[in-house]
Amino acid sequence: MSPETKPILTVSRLVKRFGGFYALDGLSFHVVPGEILGLVGPNGSGKTTAINVISGLYAPDDGEVAFDGAQAGGIASHRLVHRGINRTFQVPKPFLSLTVRENIQVALAYGHAAGHAAATPPSMAELLDEYRLKEVADRPAADLNSAQQKMLDLTRALATRPRLLLLDELAAGLNPAELDWIAGRIKALAATGMAIIVVEHLMGFIEQITDRVIVLNAGKEIFEGTLATAVREPQVIEVFLGGEHAA
Amino acid sequence: MPDTSKHLLFILAPLVVVFAVLPGVYQNHLLLFNFVIFLILAQGVNIIYGFTGYLPFGYVGFFGAGAYGFAIMVMHLQTPAPLAVLVGGVVAVALGLLLTPLLRLSGAYFAIANLAASLAVLHFVANPALENITKGPYGVSLTGTFNPTDAYYAAIAVLALTLGGVVYLKNSAFGLALQAVREDAVSASMAGVNVVKMRVIAWLASALVAGLAGGIYAWYVSVFYPDNVFSSDFSIFAIVFALFGGVATIIGPIVGVLILYGIYNLIGFTTPQYFQLIYGLLIMGLVLFLPAGLVSLATRRGWNVP
Amino acid sequence: MTYALVAGVLFGLYFSLVGIGLNLVFGVMRIVNLAHGDMLMLGAFIAVGVVGVFGIDPLFAVPLAFVVFVLAGLLLYWVLVPRLQGSANPEMLSIILFFGLSQVIEAVTTIFAGTSERSIQSRLLGTVFTTIKVKWFGGKAGGAGPIQILGQGFPAPWVIAAVTSLIAIGLVYLYLYRTRLGTLTRAVMSRRDEALATGIDVDRVSAAAFGIGLGLAAVAGVFAPFMFGSVTPAFGADATVTSFAIVVLGSLGNPLGTALGGVVYGVFYMLVQTYLSSWADLLPYVLLILILLLRPSGLLGRRVRVA
Repeated sequence: MSPETKPILTVSRLVKRFGGFYALDGLSFHVVPGEILGLVGPNGSGKTTAINVISGLYAPDDGEVAFDGAQAGGIASHRLVHRGINRTFQVPKPFLSLTVRENIQVALAYGHAAGHAAATPPSMAELLDEYRLKEVADRPAADLNSAQQKMLDLTRALATRPRLLLLDELAAGLNPAELDWIAGRIKALAATGMAIIVVEHLMGFIEQITDRVIVLNAGKEIFEGTLATAVREPQVIEVFLGGEHAA
Repeated sequence: MPDTSKHLLFILAPLVVVFAVLPGVYQNHLLLFNFVIFLILAQGVNIIYGFTGYLPFGYVGFFGAGAYGFAIMVMHLQTPAPLAVLVGGVVAVALGLLLTPLLRLSGAYFAIANLAASLAVLHFVANPALENITKGPYGVSLTGTFNPTDAYYAAIAVLALTLGGVVYLKNSAFGLALQAVREDAVSASMAGVNVVKMRVIAWLASALVAGLAGGIYAWYVSVFYPDNVFSSDFSIFAIVFALFGGVATIIGPIVGVLILYGIYNLIGFTTPQYFQLIYGLLIMGLVLFLPAGLVSLATRRGWNVP
Repeated sequence: MTYALVAGVLFGLYFSLVGIGLNLVFGVMRIVNLAHGDMLMLGAFIAVGVVGVFGIDPLFAVPLAFVVFVLAGLLLYWVLVPRLQGSANPEMLSIILFFGLSQVIEAVTTIFAGTSERSIQSRLLGTVFTTIKVKWFGGKAGGAGPIQILGQGFPAPWVIAAVTSLIAIGLVYLYLYRTRLGTLTRAVMSRRDEALATGIDVDRVSAAAFGIGLGLAAVAGVFAPFMFGSVTPAFGADATVTSFAIVVLGSLGNPLGTALGGVVYGVFYMLVQTYLSSWADLLPYVLLILILLLRPSGLLGRRVRVA
């Protein structure tokens, strides 16, 4: 990993309100190409909201998102996809009545705008093969089990050739063998220079794949560093254990 | 042979040829004309409901707007009929543009708002205050352009255009992207699809074909009242025909029109209430037992239905 | 002006009753009952029957219509709804299913009753009150005369319909907020999925709401011959569109919002009739669209309905 390279994503003092509730309250961080960054924190700490803002689902109320040196906050999702940001969803949202192949076809056809240079597109065959969807390629997505739907969600994202990939609880619900396998895949993607942000509750998985973590609480960063140091930080322990004991 | 050519050659071409030849051997030309009109409207519904997921309960608004676009051009500017038909299509597209904000609504809200919109257009056109322009509730008479033969062939041309459009949707990445938007708009945008643009294009395309059909209908019947060309029967029939056969396919709506409109003509004219009863029961049975239409009898068996 | 306003409120209260059943059904089941207007039409036919066969005050049709339609609603619910809820897109398919049902009802009514207009002499409504009055206090027998409100005379049936509607809305309120089943009903309305997860018997709640919704529609129908002059089997379709306008005004999915929606609609309707009659037909629809677009959750709602 090369943490000294220029960040591909820089988030500064990001604020997102829902009514009077501050889901993000001045969040700042950055991620560099090839890095796997973990976002951890208790439920409601703003992890998914951060991903939703960065991927253009929500416009930020304040603060900045800069992707590849250009402003990216509040821009429509499909434009951000064309610029190289993509994501998976906590609950996968495939196109249920379309076949797996058609699901991926849409992203291959529309994921890339003319005039944006990028790596050669992954081929349909590669994607189906690498993410274990070959057997079900011609079945409607509705027939897939939840692990397969997660993989389909991931291939839909990868078909657009992202340079920044946001993974929202991709590992939840996978069995240990699948976890090891997907950890390997994510590391391999990062090795190609893709920046990856991982939101996850499984600490073992975070430990296994991330270079660095940001610990969030109440929409703010309370710690930045490796997970190993994080777990010794009193404030982090307070948020995770204290919070839960109190509740 | 690629699927597109197959569909054009084995579905579109035979249908168009059969309807072009039939007037020579079958006397009831009005019935044939109505079949062609409903084939167009059912495919128009297919475009917006089948591929995009918006249920156009007020689809007749575009049809009526096309008919009145035609009538106004002929009455006030003495436009030749084919040009007036095109204007009818343009008027419908303009109405579609005016109604694009409705696409922000989802599910039942869209269906209801669209129904209200078509009724609003009806009451607008039929308003006695606009008698100088639309003839208000008193209806229009366009004897100068009356030419059922030409109108019939124009209808077949629009049918070919509409079917061509549906064949394109069925076989292109564009059609696939529309269906993706229908299934999940957020995921579609994360696949790089410009959701708003896609919806508007499908909406305007379906408005266009209904507007052209309306203009041709005005040309064919030449005398009509607002209640005729804005009758909600057009919307309802087109929707039910399309659904009965199966939407998001090419042949589903065709099968639906041929079977249901066929039944309608066998029993509907003499005893409309019995047709209404059968038709109501068919619709209920369809939703409860075959929600994806007749074609799902084949797709369930794993057959690929174009 | 006073006349138009008071008449608007009277009609509005009645319109609330017209719409409230539709809204209850949508709120609980996310089902769009396009046969709602046909329930009104059938309610009107019950009133016509009560008068024609027994020659008594059509007000007696109110409890009869309610009971008959609650039972019919429960039956219909079990036949149609569970299967519908199991499909891929229940909300959309419900529109079509209930459209089919409305066709069946209209056709069957036409087959048995013909297409002629049915009306009831308006002085028959409320004779039960005047009879009691004559018995207890003496005076002249006969139908109820115009009722004086704010110095203006209004037809007695309007006032009776408005009062009945108020009572019905009050009872719906008591049901939703003061009974156990009503509380569960509100729970299902706010979060159907969570209600399922917490073990609420959603089917029972839904069936009850469906029955009550149809019963209320039929009660509204009893007054339809007086409020609209006459009814035919084809009356149902128009009544459905009007009900929608009212319900959306108040906010779809919030039955009590319908009371407000009905009154706003009624007042608006009467004012337009009085001052802008040539555009009166157009305005309810434009109003409906504008409300949907500009205030997407209705006058009282909070729910998001944007695609």
